[in-house]
Amino acid sequence: MDFLKLSLFEIKQKLESNEITSEELTKMCFNQIKATQKLNALVSTCEEFALSTAKKVDQKRKNGEKLGALAGVPVIIKDNINLEGTRTTCASKFLENFVSPYTATCAQKLLDADAVILGKANMDEFAMGSSNENSAFGPVLNPVNQDYVPGGSSGGSATCVKANQCFASLGTDTGGSIREPASFCGVVGLKPTYGRVSRFGVVAFASSLDQVGVFSRTVKDNALMLQVISGEDQEHDMTSAKMPVPNFVENLKTDIKGMKIGVAKQFFDDKLNSEVKQSLENALKFFEQNGAILVDVNLPSLDVASSAYYIISSAEATSNLARFDGVKYGFQAQNFDGIIDLYFKSRTQGFGPEVKRRIMLGNYVLSSGYFDAYYRKAKRVQKIIQQEFAEAFEKCDVMICPTVATTAFKLGEKTDDPVAMYLSDIFTVPINLAKLPAMSIPCGQDKKGLPIGMQIIAKQWNEQAIFDVANFFEQSTKEAK
Amino acid sequence: MAKIELEEVKKLAKLSRLEFSDKELESFVAEFEKTLEYVNKINSVDTSSVDLKEDTLDAENELRQDEIEKSYSQEQIIKNAPQSEDGAFLVPTTVEEGGA
Amino acid sequence: MYKVVIGLETHCELKTSTKCFCACKNQFGGEPNTQCCPVCVGMPGALPILNKTAVEYAIKAGLAVGCKINEYSVFERKNYFYPDLAKAYQISQLEYPLCVGGGVEIEVDGTKKFIRLDRIHLEEDAAKLVHSKTGPKVDYNRGGVPLIEIVSMPDLSSAEEAVAYLKKLRSTLLYLGVSDCKMQEGSLKCDVNVSVHKEGEPFGTRTEMKNLNSFSAIFRAIKSEAKRQQEELEKGNKIVQETRRWDDVLGKSFSMRTKEDAQDYRYFPDPDIIPIHVRPNYVESISKQLPKMAQERAQIYVNDFGLTEKDAVLLTDDKYISDYFEAILQDFNEPKFVCNWMLGEVFKKLNALEQEDTEILISPQNMAKLLKLYKSETIGQSVARKLLDELWGTDKNPEEVVKEQGLTQMSDTNQLEGIIKAIMDENPKAVQELKSGNNKTMAFFVGQAMKKTAGKANPKLVNEIVQKLIK
Repeated sequence: MDFLKLSLFEIKQKLESNEITSEELTKMCFNQIKATQKLNALVSTCEEFALSTAKKVDQKRKNGEKLGALAGVPVIIKDNINLEGTRTTCASKFLENFVSPYTATCAQKLLDADAVILGKANMDEFAMGSSNENSAFGPVLNPVNQDYVPGGSSGGSATCVKANQCFASLGTDTGGSIREPASFCGVVGLKPTYGRVSRFGVVAFASSLDQVGVFSRTVKDNALMLQVISGEDQEHDMTSAKMPVPNFVENLKTDIKGMKIGVAKQFFDDKLNSEVKQSLENALKFFEQNGAILVDVNLPSLDVASSAYYIISSAEATSNLARFDGVKYGFQAQNFDGIIDLYFKSRTQGFGPEVKRRIMLGNYVLSSGYFDAYYRKAKRVQKIIQQEFAEAFEKCDVMICPTVATTAFKLGEKTDDPVAMYLSDIFTVPINLAKLPAMSIPCGQDKKGLPIGMQIIAKQWNEQAIFDVANFFEQSTKEAK
Repeated sequence: MAKIELEEVKKLAKLSRLEFSDKELESFVAEFEKTLEYVNKINSVDTSSVDLKEDTLDAENELRQDEIEKSYSQEQIIKNAPQSEDGAFLVPTTVEEGGA
Repeated sequence: MYKVVIGLETHCELKTSTKCFCACKNQFGGEPNTQCCPVCVGMPGALPILNKTAVEYAIKAGLAVGCKINEYSVFERKNYFYPDLAKAYQISQLEYPLCVGGGVEIEVDGTKKFIRLDRIHLEEDAAKLVHSKTGPKVDYNRGGVPLIEIVSMPDLSSAEEAVAYLKKLRSTLLYLGVSDCKMQEGSLKCDVNVSVHKEGEPFGTRTEMKNLNSFSAIFRAIKSEAKRQQEELEKGNKIVQETRRWDDVLGKSFSMRTKEDAQDYRYFPDPDIIPIHVRPNYVESISKQLPKMAQERAQIYVNDFGLTEKDAVLLTDDKYISDYFEAILQDFNEPKFVCNWMLGEVFKKLNALEQEDTEILISPQNMAKLLKLYKSETIGQSVARKLLDELWGTDKNPEEVVKEQGLTQMSDTNQLEGIIKAIMDENPKAVQELKSGNNKTMAFFVGQAMKKTAGKANPKLVNEIVQKLIK
């Protein structure tokens, strides 16, 4: 039996029934990581730590001690999530040698649930990008077809799950950085409601939009992972919300009769690739056939969301990345004359081009004279988008649309054109602006065999509705295969 | 077409503490104009009715209590410093007067 | 004739237990970087958590000076690069500060004046940059300590007024107990904006001087800057809007940067900190906790202790003095007697010491013992004065010192008579003068008696004996 291909729930069961130990499983994962090294999915591994955790869990199991929800399950976290004693590079030369002195809340929650963290996933530098080509440690390759990008910025986190290096992973999503790679790689990727998961210890890109989320091979796996990492973090993150964490797994519904699915025409315009469109239409038809009610909803300002997004996210990023100055930690340039020169040289040599581009844009929109016209205006547009979504959700339980207008593109295809690259986020960024939860689940493939992703959006705090719909779709289509 | 001057890009680079070659600056101007044109689309939305005030936390009941927790060790704090001395971060060059 | 226009930005560190945005200890000093966590050093991924008490202290300060407390308050990022600023931005407030308006009344040369405030906002302090042989070093222990910035309107028109204003603020903050206001430790410092203009003309261009940390520096810096600006204008030059650095040793200021290279701070709301809602009933409950301020105490001193208004004001001006005075009364309830001693001997001593931060280095309990000895005439005035010096900086018990050194006032008539007779024998001329009615000579005899008894002679008794003997 190939244990590595099982879902998280399946492997959990194998571990519980002692068909395999966590140590054996962890070793298998590391072998798989080595065998699929070419994908460049990871920045670093922590083999010693992982094996010692696995052994401890095995021992605990042997002793009959109480075990966490992820006992012995190998997982991977994105390399912008701090784990004490390991490197947190954010795929940047600047932090190449930065060793975390502390652990992020979400990583701690994984450890508290007895998960085995294998390593840190590659990403676009500081989570800026949609193709994972902006990593200082080289691009990640799409595990489905290595000529293609896996999507970004959490490209490594999507790839490692698809390539069976682990059973689930954590990524972060600021404008689509979980959902886009999930779509491109054909895995399940959820960005929870903003505030659902603590951001403490997660290196910020755009603080008001960043959210930690989960990659998995099944919807139910995803629900369990989210349950583990969610919750208020009063001591460490003021933006983490005081919301109870439901038992998403137990609450999973088995049918969708009477559920209202909103369809906004703005998501299905002519920019949409015809195969993606066809696939989505089939899915919608499927839902309707199974008793869901399709409802037309309107999101008139959707097409400007991406513009507002680039203003707000760049502004926050500029400020968040100013701390990287070459004095306290990280890269320090050689041969400088005075502190200002040290700043210039360290930052110029330490950051990659996309990061620099966003820092420049961020400073432009924040600088005196432009602040009102750009930053403030963009914040206003964000409010309008939030209102439009709120109104739409008065008419439906979830909304469905494509995750991305296309399937994965080829490596190098869009690297020279930042605006073309930004277009790959147009269906995902509005969700971040509206602070909503959304998931991408596989819903087919194009002629080239590349996965197509369907995005399911719910209103704030209603991840359950997403899990319900996604689980139903996944289970039904699995049976159909 | 959004217009941006080379001088403005240079000023932004200074504000960003980033250096660019002349060639990079030139290409930045072109790219920036394209990006600005893209983001300028926000002006098509009427936002006159929007109140920018955000959700709040209650100052009396939802803020951190003033109770001391253990700090990190000096070693943990400075271990990633490129240069340090006697437990302090060393700035290996002159610091121009200033600050805020 | 030039008019001087001054506005002050006063930074005052709050003495909360923890820092403004993390739970590290807020304490002056310590080994470098030992009161730090990822938040203090701006580690990637660290997030700020606002301290409730810091907000409360800022509100207290606002209430004490009549500010309106904003219900909606926002923290913003002030972005600039400097090694003492871990995140390369300072968390501060701009558009929605905690407190707006208000003001304080000052009195200079008997004239009262109301100085309006623009605002009080809460922000975090920067770290300490220490210069060493190998280069500047950064210690983040102070980084993130809460401070309030109190911004005055440009209502001050002289260095004297500026100092009076600052003393009043300091006194108020000390009464509130929200800050130590120790200028030497940097927990109170000032940025000063100065401009000059001719009467009837609009305000001139202002310059700013930063980080002034003593009353005398502020006083001298304003005088110097006003003079410099007047001289520039007289020469036909224009004043440049700039930031200047005051060198207290040289007594001169130097240009640091002009408006052209002024920083663009790119303020924007900090997305890591949710705006806060300060409900009116919360403000009311804070308002009820406000301690008795100087004026209220002075009123009690007049009504209940029978002190004069002038004395009461002098005693309550500085909370430290007032607290000290009241602590003595706990052991020795003679308000008028204690008041005279405080305003006389203790103030003389404090003035001579020229401390920036008032501190009486004798415990109030020992001071009370000293005063009991004095009041009961166990010791005389000169011994009491001597004891003040001798006990200063120690915790010696005055009763024991008096006993050990035999300082008890000499009130043995026989013994004193012998001494006085000897003085009279040595000074027949003085005896004659006294007999002929020159009462001033009495002082001579008292003085001589003191000299011979090392200050222990009871002056009243000496007086009586001399009178008796010359009859």
